[in-house]
Amino acid sequence: MEKDVTLDARGLMCPMPIVQLAKKVKELKSGQVLELLADDVGARDDVPAWCNRTGHAMVGQEEEGKLFRFYIRIK
Amino acid sequence: MADRFCMVVSEGSFDKAMMPLIMGNTAASMGMEVHVFYTFFGLKLLKKGIRPKLPGMWRFFTGMMVKKMMKLNVPNYEEMLKQAKELGVNFYACSTSMSLLGVKQSDLIEGTKVLGASKFLDLAADSKVTLFIG
Repeated sequence: MEKDVTLDARGLMCPMPIVQLAKKVKELKSGQVLELLADDVGARDDVPAWCNRTGHAMVGQEEEGKLFRFYIRIK
Repeated sequence: MADRFCMVVSEGSFDKAMMPLIMGNTAASMGMEVHVFYTFFGLKLLKKGIRPKLPGMWRFFTGMMVKKMMKLNVPNYEEMLKQAKELGVNFYACSTSMSLLGVKQSDLIEGTKVLGASKFLDLAADSKVTLFIG
């Protein structure tokens, strides 16, 4: 999937991936796609919930073993 | 208006210290407006330089817990507080508890506002989520 930026939150536990995601998104422009990597199981449902709450669009979500990849289009 | 999230913290142990910050920092990251009111023994969590301990006899194992958290990359209490401030989480100290426990405004971490119950309830009445941690 095409992306503009990657945020690597592997090795971070809840709520750090979300906190870092929120921080990162502030630096990005509308329409850009952010790839988020996380391996905390909580992230699987936390990231979609975060998108739902903040209005950014989840355009892709993949699981490879213990790794989760999320693609978020900035609103 | 942003969704509002209010918490009351009435105990000062390690777990009661971390939980509101984990919830509060997450909520603030989700774009929510967060208010945390510290009362009774929770008040000491707002004192400068505090290192919260596990409750009761477990307090002797606090160091083990802190080390384990470091290993797991979980931020410690001080780092969580710093993060909360950056995210705009609002911290309030209960005015009555301050008198009761002999805590002065100068003992409290910067940015703490002293509030009475009415003002907090006024905020909580228009809140989407309220939690009591104690």
